[in-house]
Amino acid sequence: MMIDLSSPEDPADGLAAVVALRRLAEQLEAAEVERAMRAGWSWPEVAEALGVTRQAVHKKHAKRLIAAGVELRRR
Amino acid sequence: MFNRFTQDARWVAHDGPRIARELGDSSVEAEHLLLAIARRDDAAARVLHAAGLDEDAIAAALVAETERSLAAVGVSADSLTFSPFVETPRFGRSAKWALELALRIALERGDKRIGTGHVALAILDAKRGTVSRALAIAGVDRETLATEIRSSVVGRP
Repeated sequence: MMIDLSSPEDPADGLAAVVALRRLAEQLEAAEVERAMRAGWSWPEVAEALGVTRQAVHKKHAKRLIAAGVELRRR
Repeated sequence: MFNRFTQDARWVAHDGPRIARELGDSSVEAEHLLLAIARRDDAAARVLHAAGLDEDAIAAALVAETERSLAAVGVSADSLTFSPFVETPRFGRSAKWALELALRIALERGDKRIGTGHVALAILDAKRGTVSRALAIAGVDRETLATEIRSSVVGRP
């Protein structure tokens, strides 16, 4: 990933970039939470790193990681 | 809300959320409904296909739109891999808007059923946003496509 935030000339492009960045952030979160949990991180550690509650990150990601067979640490 | 939908339109409302989930998107948006329409084989889907918009072509245009939008602020990203979400995502603003507008279009025209053509017209009504940008990238004129659908699918122009 390469980032060099600059303002596009046309606001339509800038606003479309906002939409694309939101999606990218969601997908990056899904990928990185999974990577951390596969590496043996705990939910509280991942939550702390993301600046969200343990409940929030667990509610959002636990089901898919369990379905994918990722071994999850309890604490 | 879906009791006046035709069978094909119900499939679109069913497939849209699943397509969103497969793409790893956290909400169902208009582009997922458009992909779901292109997956059908009814009159509206055939108009899309004739314009070069089968499901794969729309998906490719959406990827190109994302890349171009990110590039506008100097961001490039490889596609990310992660285990898919289990829960089906909820309907987001643009998809809700499209379904509501499809209903209004059908009412205004005096059509008893809401078909995929009405949903397509509602999606194509948006001048801005992801779908309109993706169609522009695919070289498809939004208004010409809407006119095609109006005349050959929904009935009266």
